[in-house]
Amino acid sequence: MQTFNLETDLAGLKLKNPVITASGTYGFGEAYAPFYEPSVLGGITVKGITPLKRLGNPVPRLAETPSGLLNSVGLENPGLEAFLKSYLPQLASLDTAVIVNISGFSLEDYALMASSFQRGCGIAALEVNISCPNIKHGGMAFGTDPKSAEEVIAAVRKKTDLPLIAKLSPNVTDIAAMAKAVESGGADIISLINTLLGMQIDLNTQKPVLANTMGGLSGPAVRPVAVRMVYQVYQAVKLPVIGMGGISTWQDAVEFMLAGASAVSIGTANFGNPLAPVEILEGIQAYGNQRGYQSVREIVGLAHGQKG
Amino acid sequence: MDLKEKVVFNERIGHPVQGLYKLVLSGEAAKTARPGQFLHIQVTDTSDPLLRRPLSIAGIDPERGEVTIYYRIKGKGTELLSRIPADQYLSVLGPLGTGFSIPREGELLLIAGGIGMFPLFSVIQAAQKVPVKIKVLWGGENKDFLDSADLNLLLQKGLDVELSTLDGSFGEKGLVTALLEKHLALGSTQELLHGGLLQAAACGPNGMLKAVAGICLNGDVPLEVSLEERMACGVGACLGCVCTVRAENGGLKRKRVCKEGPVMNGQEVVWDADI
Repeated sequence: MQTFNLETDLAGLKLKNPVITASGTYGFGEAYAPFYEPSVLGGITVKGITPLKRLGNPVPRLAETPSGLLNSVGLENPGLEAFLKSYLPQLASLDTAVIVNISGFSLEDYALMASSFQRGCGIAALEVNISCPNIKHGGMAFGTDPKSAEEVIAAVRKKTDLPLIAKLSPNVTDIAAMAKAVESGGADIISLINTLLGMQIDLNTQKPVLANTMGGLSGPAVRPVAVRMVYQVYQAVKLPVIGMGGISTWQDAVEFMLAGASAVSIGTANFGNPLAPVEILEGIQAYGNQRGYQSVREIVGLAHGQKG
Repeated sequence: MDLKEKVVFNERIGHPVQGLYKLVLSGEAAKTARPGQFLHIQVTDTSDPLLRRPLSIAGIDPERGEVTIYYRIKGKGTELLSRIPADQYLSVLGPLGTGFSIPREGELLLIAGGIGMFPLFSVIQAAQKVPVKIKVLWGGENKDFLDSADLNLLLQKGLDVELSTLDGSFGEKGLVTALLEKHLALGSTQELLHGGLLQAAACGPNGMLKAVAGICLNGDVPLEVSLEERMACGVGACLGCVCTVRAENGGLKRKRVCKEGPVMNGQEVVWDADI
């Protein structure tokens, strides 16, 4: 008998369970459909959208590192208009919370995109990407300065009534300050971490492997950094946290929840094991049952002892 | 799509210096595999290396339920794969990607550079079942490589094969593209071409494919190429393995090598696109 309630509520964003997929690792909901029904997950986050279509960066865009992956995809996407027309209707029909990730190069870009997504349009929340390391202007530039981060979130907040998730970059010295800034800007939820800026050099060519020189590091190699940041952000703000960064097993996911994550997002693990999100969900459920918890919410933040 | 395949055979072939291996897998993949597709193989249970290895299918035997793959040890992943013994099971995604089209008549011209011959083995296998003339042009570094890479298997099939080596140790000295230019200059080929009965398929390094595409474009020969690019997911999610192609409106667009490829229209690909 299963008595463990997997439902989670992130400031009004209700998920049937705490397992989500991370932006840029799950396509537009179609790539992993041959392996399992997306509806088993609490939510899916689609590939980041920009106002105009982007071809992204040149290849090579990938470099494998010890237990990690560097990418410099550079926000390749079909653009806002094509997304609304060709992808949103199908996504809206899925029986799971669909989170749309938006990115831009100016405050106006972010505001424009936010105005296209409102309650009732078929998606559950907007994730504001202020943390992409792979574009020269915008992206991480907004996400590494608290004042800019607050302004972006505030601009988006004015244009949509959807729950707002601010996705933070780990490429900062004070993650708590960034969390407080987006809380002030009006974010409802914080997701972290995006990738860590890294690079790899080929010993034969003696040149950087990635065509874009640097890229974002993800995978198990970044997990301890992500756990630490989730722990710090949980202490710094009242907003619920979606934790991500190298989660590939249910044990990893529970660790993030103990650190303070109300939901977890699976990214790079999808690439090696398409069934990773499903296996993680089953593992969380078994953990809760074995430990005799009533609800997934009881686990969140336990590593802190009594909060506040 | 998410399979457990049994290793029937996984051994080094040819001279050790070439680092070539032959892998035979038994299971479901053989039922649906098409020439030109690939399998995404997990080589370890640990997280290093993190990703699967995409390997082209070189032979398909639906009756025996077996697929054959050739690979060369290039790094940690293929090194780990080479140590996996027979009777062990491997986690395999696939068959993935698009395949080559096999003509029903006329001449199929196959152009291979180095280990680019391996996916074309599966094309030959399929083309031998239909009344199409197969012409193989294969360029390798030297005789040792060609011998190690199962040249004898190709010759035993009685195929029309022309070879080149960079050091001149076997066949013509030089690049396979020289063989291609010479072949397309022949009268018999011109007749086939004008009758729409000649098509080409190529696999090899990007520089070679670019040159082959240029020669085929000049000769109006339809060409399919199998591309290689660093890959993560293998199923179209990560956008890591893209190539650049010419869009219908004349602009540029990306295609995913794992999903829309690895086989692409050779005239559509924009080679050396630095965007």
